[in-house]
Amino acid sequence: MNSVFSNKTAIAIFVLPTLLIFCAIVLIPIVVSSYYSVLDWNGIGKGTFIGLDNFTEMFTDSRALNAIKNSLLFAGASIFIQLPFSLLLALILASTVKGEGFYRTVYFIPVLISTVVIAQLWSKIYNADYGLLNTLLVNMGLSNLAQDWLGQKQTALIASFIPILWQYVGYHMLLMYAGAKSISQDIFEAAKIDGASRIRTALSITIPLMKPILKVCLVFSVIGAFKVFDLIYVLTGGGPFFTTEVPSTLMYTTIFDTYRYGYGSAISVFIILECLVFTLLINKLIKTD
Amino acid sequence: MKALLKKSFTVLLTVGLAGSIAACSSQGTPSEESGSDSITLKLWDQSVGNTDPSAKLLPQIIEKWNNEHPDIQIERTGTTGEQYKTKIKTALAGGEAPDIFYGMGGGSFMQPFIESGNVLEITSYVNDDIKSRMGAGMAEAIETDGKIYTLPVYTHIANLYVNTELFEKAGAKLPETYAELLDAVEKLKAAGITPALIGEKDRWPGMYWYDLIAMRQAGNEAVIEAFKDPSKWDSPEFVAAAAKLQELAKMGAFNSSMFSMSYDEMLGAFNAGNGAMMVQANWVNAGIEDPSSAVKGKVKVIPFPVFEDGKGDKTEIFGGAVDGFYVSKTTKHPEAAVEFLKYLSEQLGTQGYLAGAGLPSWKTDGLDTSGLSTLDQSSAEIMQSATSFIAWWDNILPAESAEAHKNLIAQLLAQDITPEGFSKQMAQLKPTELKL
Repeated sequence: MNSVFSNKTAIAIFVLPTLLIFCAIVLIPIVVSSYYSVLDWNGIGKGTFIGLDNFTEMFTDSRALNAIKNSLLFAGASIFIQLPFSLLLALILASTVKGEGFYRTVYFIPVLISTVVIAQLWSKIYNADYGLLNTLLVNMGLSNLAQDWLGQKQTALIASFIPILWQYVGYHMLLMYAGAKSISQDIFEAAKIDGASRIRTALSITIPLMKPILKVCLVFSVIGAFKVFDLIYVLTGGGPFFTTEVPSTLMYTTIFDTYRYGYGSAISVFIILECLVFTLLINKLIKTD
Repeated sequence: MKALLKKSFTVLLTVGLAGSIAACSSQGTPSEESGSDSITLKLWDQSVGNTDPSAKLLPQIIEKWNNEHPDIQIERTGTTGEQYKTKIKTALAGGEAPDIFYGMGGGSFMQPFIESGNVLEITSYVNDDIKSRMGAGMAEAIETDGKIYTLPVYTHIANLYVNTELFEKAGAKLPETYAELLDAVEKLKAAGITPALIGEKDRWPGMYWYDLIAMRQAGNEAVIEAFKDPSKWDSPEFVAAAAKLQELAKMGAFNSSMFSMSYDEMLGAFNAGNGAMMVQANWVNAGIEDPSSAVKGKVKVIPFPVFEDGKGDKTEIFGGAVDGFYVSKTTKHPEAAVEFLKYLSEQLGTQGYLAGAGLPSWKTDGLDTSGLSTLDQSSAEIMQSATSFIAWWDNILPAESAEAHKNLIAQLLAQDITPEGFSKQMAQLKPTELKL
């Protein structure tokens, strides 16, 4: 077996099928999208070459800038709200609480449910006329707080972030939980003998040793934030008045509602570059051996 | 070397993760001949809704055709509304369109595909015999620059739907003028009833209100002029129309949750009796008359109120767009496809009318219309009284301007823009590419 894995030709043959599929459905579309992004093209017929005009437009269009701002805000919320929360849950679960398996499953359930279902569920929670949230507020005597959560500019963005943050808490929790569990018990025993408290152990031993998995979580959550589409699309469709628009929903409406494939492709190229830059940045900032 | 390899692997993986949304794969195989003398044609449509009568009729019509024509078999795929639009656009752009497909009528949806030659011209197949079987004005309505690409199926017109039970409860009169509309709104509000429902999350339901108000204020002729020369949008009539819509919104005529309510939710709320008025087209009739609806038999359809200071009359109709099926240019069997197109359009048009799917585009002499619901009969009567039609504005305006138009109306409803500012922005729209 070992001799097979050290044989370069064998490796090449085994890797080839996946590589071909990867190229066909990922790399080639990206290259093609990049080509479209320098065209003024309506999706059918012939496009005209306009250089980087689509990109210039994107960085001067207030609607596109707002979408980019929203995705950055969302990435920030993922890093500073979602990940710490997942970490907390992971650490608690990993420190052998009663019903560990049960809680692990419960927190992971939202990840398994289709995002569209989640969006429908939350749109019923937020519904202004019969929604769970407003009913709760009214029954608590806070009827002046009841409002059209997804229909107002002030609340729509936050209201649409919460379900996405909520949904993937379980996903990051599971990754971190696995990371925490893989740390050798000997180290914890040594800490116990030294008289370290649980919090001390978590801060000085568990978290530093989880660094590689934390980095993975960070990358996943940032990329996830930049390419979020389905939940926003179902929940608000980018409205009201583009307040909840993110680059991917803007790309969709640009291409399919206004027939501007060139501009839409420019946005998609931007999303890819954005993801790349941030991944490299995170890798630079957090060095692991 | 190892570090470089690792790094490039990371990059590739990221590109892959990010790229999965950029990738737009399409599937579908061109029609193939099955057997030596039998051909199979693919048909795509968007009639899959529960209360959509076409969804029940289409399979029956196709089955009948398949039984009568063993040599030309039809294979149908139905996809729901918004997804259908995306699907057919992608397929047409990719040159993988089915032989026959449904196209949203009356303008900017099909226009780009007609211009770029993705759709088969069928002028030579349409003889006088077929034309004589169509309803009045239909033979002209389906022409694009003197050429024919589609045959009519149904016609749809938008009117005011009123819940008479709620009107009675509030002691309000069904409005025939703008003053009566304002009065009805006040009385309904006083009775604790939501006067009118708009599913503004999808933006086009709000557009129907402005467009009808503008047609009543300025008259259809002035609207058509403005489509050709957008600078005319910035004239006193259209400012007054915008002011009227804003006045209605300000006095609370519409549900407070309109910006988070979708079209489907709006229909659900109206059918549950949660609102007294709704501006929609006759495609909602079947849902209102469905046994599951709480307002069955309590809803009337009336022409939108006329304005004391307006130039429009109640016989000037919003709608009349011809929805129909098209044949793809890439089909291998144009003759068979057109033959089926003719059969399908006439059968679906007449049987669908009787089932309440839409108003007929074909002559209905000799058809038994006694089974029609009162809503369908009233809609048909309003259509027969018509002196002029203007189709859905978002189909008449070029795609980008249509989006801008809908967004502006949403801003108007939210009091984000003044009627003057609204009209100034409307004047920036592009002129229509259609011949009106």
